[in-house]
Amino acid sequence: MTREEVFAKLNEIFQDVFDDEDINVNETTTAADVDGWDSLEHINLLVAIERGFGIRFTMGETTGLKNVGEMVDKIISHLG
Amino acid sequence: MSLVSAAFLAFVALTALIYYLVPGGARRWVLLAASLAFCASCGFYSLVFVLLAAVTTFIGGLLCGPSKSRGLRNAAAVITVVLNLGILCAVRFYGVIGLFAERLNNVFGATGSTRTFMLYAVPVGMAFYTLQLIGYTLDCRWEKIAPEKNFFRYLLFATYFPYFTSGPMNSYAALSVKLDGSKDARLTLGRVRDSAIRIAWGFFKKLVIADRIAVVVNTIYGNHESYCGLYVFIGAACFAIQLYADFSGCMEVVLGASHLLGIEMPENFNSPFLAHTIREYWQRWHITLGGWLRDYLFYPMLRTSLFVKIGDGAKKLFGKKRGKKVPVYFALIILWAAVGYWHGGLMKYVIGTGLLHCFYIILGELVEPVSVKLRKKLHSEKWPYKVFQTARTFFLICLGHIFFRAANVPDALAMYRAIFQPFAIDGEWIASLGLDTSNLIVLLIAFALLVAVDVYKYREKQEEEPRLILAKLNEKPMAVSWAVFMILLITVLIFGLYGLGYDSGAFIYARI
Repeated sequence: MTREEVFAKLNEIFQDVFDDEDINVNETTTAADVDGWDSLEHINLLVAIERGFGIRFTMGETTGLKNVGEMVDKIISHLG
Repeated sequence: MSLVSAAFLAFVALTALIYYLVPGGARRWVLLAASLAFCASCGFYSLVFVLLAAVTTFIGGLLCGPSKSRGLRNAAAVITVVLNLGILCAVRFYGVIGLFAERLNNVFGATGSTRTFMLYAVPVGMAFYTLQLIGYTLDCRWEKIAPEKNFFRYLLFATYFPYFTSGPMNSYAALSVKLDGSKDARLTLGRVRDSAIRIAWGFFKKLVIADRIAVVVNTIYGNHESYCGLYVFIGAACFAIQLYADFSGCMEVVLGASHLLGIEMPENFNSPFLAHTIREYWQRWHITLGGWLRDYLFYPMLRTSLFVKIGDGAKKLFGKKRGKKVPVYFALIILWAAVGYWHGGLMKYVIGTGLLHCFYIILGELVEPVSVKLRKKLHSEKWPYKVFQTARTFFLICLGHIFFRAANVPDALAMYRAIFQPFAIDGEWIASLGLDTSNLIVLLIAFALLVAVDVYKYREKQEEEPRLILAKLNEKPMAVSWAVFMILLITVLIFGLYGLGYDSGAFIYARI
């Protein structure tokens, strides 16, 4: 899966979780840029990502992510 | 050793003296020796239990390392958590005395009055260090940190004496870096002054406010059948203030002592009684416990396949938006039952500090659509509504405290019923609270000072750092700070309910 493909799929997951079809995430998107992305919704997002990509994050990986770009790095490392 | 005692002050001063006299590299050993001595001073069994927890979680952490097989890592994490939580729950349920004393009394041949010598067996601080150390093993399992290989480094984290009896709870990643930094800590006059003021303020909260208001609390709760109506609320509100002055006073002493050693630990309170909602209250009260439960219980629980399945089913039943809240509510119930149980193994704690708060939060979520409209109409952005919110939150907390402080659930329920009975406030009402007028005036002035400090600290947005009095004092000439310290010291000596020589009642949270 290329980085672009991961982003495209991730964007669909974001739109679904936050119930907003206008969301368009990129490398620098942070929680502050997405309405409703609080710590609880972050858990829902992680579960949806794990399910969508068929991967499993460790708890350590899910904290301290600076932006969506880093999230994509993690996803790609699991897919690889 | 009580944290509010001349002995503890002498212990901290002596430790700090040796700590700053030895070369930087040796300071860790000074801290470890002082910490083990402190644990031992809390009772032989306190030392034994913390060593047991330290050894098991340390080995658990090593076996959770990334080089081990997945099966071994999972097994090690589960066994470590179950073992340590099991010991904590067993102590909660039976009491250490029940577990060991009878057998040991028999082994040692103690008879008659000497059979009570095992009373000291209750391990101090177990509720705090057990969670902190379990957190370390889970951090290793979840690959947040690499397992520590040096047992003595880990043992210092486990027993570090300022936190040992009452927290605040630390993560290994944060505290180990600070303990490592001890070699570079410098003793300055500013550090001594800040620590002295903080510790004196802690003594003030405990001895001038908490121990004084405890007289009112003990009077009302000790004879609750005689009080009804407003008096029940006075008792509950006084207990809320006692608990806050007691626990936050303890934290001032703990954080002040640790600051003297150049090791900063996280704050546990941020003007909690000024919170507008119950949810906000818990973000400002016992902050490190809330953080621990969020990171190690609540979020991991929501990520388990069981809760994901509950969410899937609920979404089909109630729609996507409402359905995704259902697993959160289930997780909240478990979380709050755990919070209540942590406060003590009795149902009164499970209700008063757990499930009742869970009920408030879930109810608040359910009526949120109505609340949004109501807030708009009532101009929620203006101060009268905010004052109402603060008062409402405090009132709801007090309702929980009736369970917390009452001897048992039936007593608490009797007090609830008594609220609706007629009462009279006559000329004798002050005397009936157990404090004479002069003590009541001292209490009111001291309480007003506590409120003023909290209002000064308070920032509505929690992401903003609270304003600190110490920082303000540092802008003034040094003499002002020392004058504040002297005033606090003299006030504690004169108005501390029993003065420094008195062995003050143990901090409430040190008995948890």
